[in-house]
Amino acid sequence: MTTPPNTKTFTPARPIWCAGCGDFAVQGVLEKSLNKMGIPPHKLMLLAGIGCSGTIQNNLRCYGYHALHGRVLPATIGAKLANPDLTVIAAGGDGDGFAIGAGHLVHTFKSNPSIMYVVMNNSNYGLTKGQASPTSPIGYHDNSEMGLDSILLGLSFLSTTFLARGFSGNPEQLGQLMEAAIEHTQSGKGFAFLEVLSPCVTYYDTHREWRAKVYNVEEDESFDPTNRAEAFQKVIELKEQGRIPIGRILTAEHPSLESIIINKEETLPAQQNISNFDDHRKHYDQFMKAHLG
Amino acid sequence: MTSKNSQPVLEDVSVIVAGQGGDGSLTVITMLADLFRNVGLNVYTERDVLSRIRGGHAAATMRAFKGDRHCIGSHIDLLVALDEEAVEKNAHQLNSKSMVVFDDSGGPLNPGLLPEGVRLYAAPFNRIAMRTMRRELYKNSIAFGIVGRILGLEDQSMRDTFTKRFQRMGQVILDYNIEALELGLHLADEMGIKHGEGKYRIEQTEPEEHLLLMGNESIAFGFMVAGGRFFTGYPITPSTEVLETLQKWLPRCGGVVRQTEDELAGINMAIGAALTGVRTMTATSGPGFSLMQEGIGHAGSGEVPIVVVDCQRSGPSTGMPTKPEQSDLNIMVFGGHGDYPRIVLTPGHPEDCFYLAFEATNLADKYQCPVFIAMDQALSQNIASVKPFNLDQVQVEPGKRLTAEEVAKLDTYKRYAFSKDGVSAFAAPGTPGGMSLVTGNEHDEFGLVSTDPTNRVKMMDKRFHKIEEAKKELPKGRHFGDKNAPIGFIGIGMMYGVILDAMTHLEKQGFKTQYHQPRTIWPVLDDTLAFIEECERVYVIDLNAQGQLAHILMHQGADASKIISICRYDGLPYRPGYLVNQIVEQEGKLNRDEKKEAKAQ
Repeated sequence: MTTPPNTKTFTPARPIWCAGCGDFAVQGVLEKSLNKMGIPPHKLMLLAGIGCSGTIQNNLRCYGYHALHGRVLPATIGAKLANPDLTVIAAGGDGDGFAIGAGHLVHTFKSNPSIMYVVMNNSNYGLTKGQASPTSPIGYHDNSEMGLDSILLGLSFLSTTFLARGFSGNPEQLGQLMEAAIEHTQSGKGFAFLEVLSPCVTYYDTHREWRAKVYNVEEDESFDPTNRAEAFQKVIELKEQGRIPIGRILTAEHPSLESIIINKEETLPAQQNISNFDDHRKHYDQFMKAHLG
Repeated sequence: MTSKNSQPVLEDVSVIVAGQGGDGSLTVITMLADLFRNVGLNVYTERDVLSRIRGGHAAATMRAFKGDRHCIGSHIDLLVALDEEAVEKNAHQLNSKSMVVFDDSGGPLNPGLLPEGVRLYAAPFNRIAMRTMRRELYKNSIAFGIVGRILGLEDQSMRDTFTKRFQRMGQVILDYNIEALELGLHLADEMGIKHGEGKYRIEQTEPEEHLLLMGNESIAFGFMVAGGRFFTGYPITPSTEVLETLQKWLPRCGGVVRQTEDELAGINMAIGAALTGVRTMTATSGPGFSLMQEGIGHAGSGEVPIVVVDCQRSGPSTGMPTKPEQSDLNIMVFGGHGDYPRIVLTPGHPEDCFYLAFEATNLADKYQCPVFIAMDQALSQNIASVKPFNLDQVQVEPGKRLTAEEVAKLDTYKRYAFSKDGVSAFAAPGTPGGMSLVTGNEHDEFGLVSTDPTNRVKMMDKRFHKIEEAKKELPKGRHFGDKNAPIGFIGIGMMYGVILDAMTHLEKQGFKTQYHQPRTIWPVLDDTLAFIEECERVYVIDLNAQGQLAHILMHQGADASKIISICRYDGLPYRPGYLVNQIVEQEGKLNRDEKKEAKAQ
């Protein structure tokens, strides 16, 4: 590779998070993983949603994008399909991903594009001062609904290929999961879903509670992440016991979205030289011929 | 031969096939269109359906003609009625010279339904089909034989068209349909309509090459030729053919077409793709366009190039999904929260759809903003003869893009750098050194979130300035008629063909008119305002209840005292005759008012 240009571009911002916020660990681990894997900043797109976690893209040197609330997944898929050569990462919070954006999460589980999605779950709406979120438990504020479990949701799709949960209080394991997730997408295996328990120190400090409740399936020798049905059963059992499973929950194989819909005989959509009109002239002529009757 | 010469040469004929949904009205019309195209005539077809797959009154209409016509005419020469309801619903379009081919399987036609003088050809098509082929499905192929004979088509050409149409459905289906056609030809013999002795004589001319295209297909093609390589869509009437056409053709050029889970995903996936520099489009209709508003404003603020096609249908809410309207003009021009620049183009014919879709794709890239194409159900789905596009005439004009080498030469790269024309050069992801931030938040030149008041005003002005620059090259309107005529017309979309047709009728009645067809309605261009200035009075024809187009023009400084707003919102497309009546009535009223005024003085 040639030496990177010295052109000055934006200076990454300082995180806006409160001291002690779990999101610091996520950012630290993400930067470390990207460095370790040698992904250059110009080949990385980091797209983030709305919320405290949805500012992470400002803090890294890369191509950053700030999506609309709940819409980070469609935007990320669009970028990946247009240019599969890029490493494309989506980030956001549990409100962004599991409430306003839940429909897109469901369809991303279904379509399996090779992107990584990091959800920083703090079980409340931190940026709007602590309202209940889709993952808040019964009894948090006036919440009377059971919290949503994204891993269970993901397990219910036979098309999911990578499901994991990390904990900001366990950065070492989080780093391993992050690297595995990025590796999964880099090798075109599909959607890598990584939820991170990332406590909010200001409105809902769950750090101690979660530390006591997490159950690392990777330390359980009987747990097999390649067995979807057993994984499903184990997660339900753990939840019924009041535990939160962390670690690599599922590894499976299913064709990735881009491997199905990209025409491999042509240049990738974003890399075509559109000024070379004649590249596809024959298709244009065919179209007209087909409508001549 | 003497009898042959007494037949009039077919110069302008309108045929409607009507029955219940699923009866195959559209199939008959499509084959007729193909036959007339083959003998060198121009055609225009329209469909009128309910939003369901089977049942309910459904009709398809075709007009074949010499010269330029871009709409369905005011009366029908031949009604093919597959049941009595079809006659009830369409008799008002018949005149004393019209003919009716009627399926009397359900009993003879109530003669009181037909205007005096109408010639009736009745036969039990349904019963014959059931008796001989055990499927009522083939009744329209039987009727086709009679229709073709009346119109003066060659028997063999009908057989050829049947073969072309049904071959891909398998030999069995083809055989049955050919058998049905032969039965129909035999019936025609019995009725005394022998080969070559129909109502019309077709002058076989050297057929010019013509494509048969609906506006939606033409939009898809224009986008594809303009280098568009990413399309998202969610099926919605009447925009779905844009999605379907691109699903078929775009992957061949290496493009991606994604049917998304909803329109929210549609617009946001399009934006995500556009971030990588690929030319991107999405298409929808009113309900989907409403859902997309947040995303479109986001693209406006983040300066993401995106083309959005709005195939308007009758609203509000779910409205009348299969009926034409032009009632999203306000939301296209003024919609979304906050202030952001946008461009709205308005093609008037499937041919123009190609050129304006091409232009829209160029413009979005050059000005890094949302560009809308305002369609309506009729323009979207009516099929018309179109001259093959001259691909040497169009030119892909890339936007301001920076290569790695160009970035390397810069001291500083700013995604939203202030510039003379308001457009900032853009380095696509993957370009070394071009890392940037794109956001819908107000931002500084680097894309970092900023609420600084001075920066805010500069950024807002920069974005709007792009439209001032774009104005210099936005598609100007087209002028038709006598420049000195006192009466002017302004109308967009499907109104283009209707107004032109109405003008010829009005001229015969002594009204001198001229027509300005705007092809950009936002920003309103000077040529449109100048046209209004030059006319004594201008009829602005709106296909909505509030006169949205008239209001947009007045909002931009058109002299309100000159504008007479004509609105239609009953779900029916305008017909030339309807418009002529409106104008004649309105002109009469003006005359009376003038006389009254003169008397009072």
